[in-house]
Amino acid sequence: MATKSGNATALTVLSPIKNGAIGETSLADITRERCMRLPIHEQSPLTKVPNTYLARLFILDDVFYESLPANDSIFNFSDITSIFSDSARKKALPRKDHLKSKYLVFSSNFHGDLDAYLTGMWEKWSYTDHQGTQRDVRHIWEHCVAFDKITDCAGFIAYIKECQLEASLFFNGSTDDSLQEQLKALYLKQEFTQFAMAHQGKSAAEIQQDFKAFIAHVQPDNLTAPTWLPGKSTP
Amino acid sequence: MSNIAGKAYAMNVITPIRWYTTWTNKLFFKAATLLPSTLKGLQTLSLIHYARWVIIPRDGFPHLDSSQPKEDLHYAYMLFFSNFNGSWDQYVDSFTFAIPSGLDLFWKWNIRYPKSVPLTPFHNYIRHNQIDTAHYYNAYPMAASNDVKSAQKIKKALIRFNTESSDKSPEDFLQDYYRLLNDLQHHFGDMKPTPIVSLSSYEVKKRYEQTRF
Repeated sequence: MATKSGNATALTVLSPIKNGAIGETSLADITRERCMRLPIHEQSPLTKVPNTYLARLFILDDVFYESLPANDSIFNFSDITSIFSDSARKKALPRKDHLKSKYLVFSSNFHGDLDAYLTGMWEKWSYTDHQGTQRDVRHIWEHCVAFDKITDCAGFIAYIKECQLEASLFFNGSTDDSLQEQLKALYLKQEFTQFAMAHQGKSAAEIQQDFKAFIAHVQPDNLTAPTWLPGKSTP
Repeated sequence: MSNIAGKAYAMNVITPIRWYTTWTNKLFFKAATLLPSTLKGLQTLSLIHYARWVIIPRDGFPHLDSSQPKEDLHYAYMLFFSNFNGSWDQYVDSFTFAIPSGLDLFWKWNIRYPKSVPLTPFHNYIRHNQIDTAHYYNAYPMAASNDVKSAQKIKKALIRFNTESSDKSPEDFLQDYYRLLNDLQHHFGDMKPTPIVSLSSYEVKKRYEQTRF
């Protein structure tokens, strides 16, 4: 399945937003503002969703293309010649498309299975917004079509799966380890780099003694501590 | 808030494609999935964390309720998502220089795709079809993709070295220690919020702080 690459999973979700407005602000713009006001880095609600490597939210307002609109009914002559020539293909004039709904797009790269991940989103996603109010994942999806019927975790999982799109190709240029494993490894890389720099030119006995103390301190096999916290943005 | 989270940049590109030619793209993607060696060019672009291509059939946009109007589209659409390190220009150019033919294959038949060479029309095409991200989360803003891969190697080597060499005589320990450092020298590096993207990252943080009030 193209949405998996080893233990890494690609989740692509397009949730249609209702076409209404509150006052003079469309529901899509309200959703966009909520996404933009989410706290970043260490404070992002996604730090609490287990195993999230990288994730994003945005609003798909419409579809577009780099061209002028024109007639392209079924196919035209330049379509046929395009089989043979790219320059002829470029002469084919596209038609104009518009979406009837705006979509909340959620795209995540994470470790593990989808159900466990979505359970984490439902249960752990929380943050304090700019007005000091505690929010959960429902705040972001609130104005999406049919989301008002979602009352529990099973319903949320079913809803997201209905909005899910299969990836045709998922490329993993990193690792597919658990996030805990990745963060621990990054912590060790940072610490061991500093250890190596600090111990240049020292005696064998001193390096060995300090190395043992270093290992006791960093605990390489302990994934929970000491380690980097998700979203850590400063040393 | 931004396309940038620490050292990572989030790219979203949506491009139209004639619905009756999507099978060719799906075939290329299927081949790439089944034969990972075909992605060798992509793997040389070690600045990528994760990337994906999603083809939405023209009747494939999620429709959840009768109250939602049904889409009536002429084209299918291809979504491209990438998480990479460095600047936009560096990324798009490195794609062009590393895998021009692979790129042309993946975007084959997309409406008005100008091919990856020359650069300027390709830049315009991507820029025009790109959508900005509202919230971007990166679990390790200070780390590049290469840092994550290097960290995995360092962790494994460190644990093995500790098991095999930490109780040897100081002289033998030192010999093994130097060998370890020698083997890992390409993987070391202090991670900090460093140049180029992080300057933008700083601006993102500043802008975000302003929205808090």
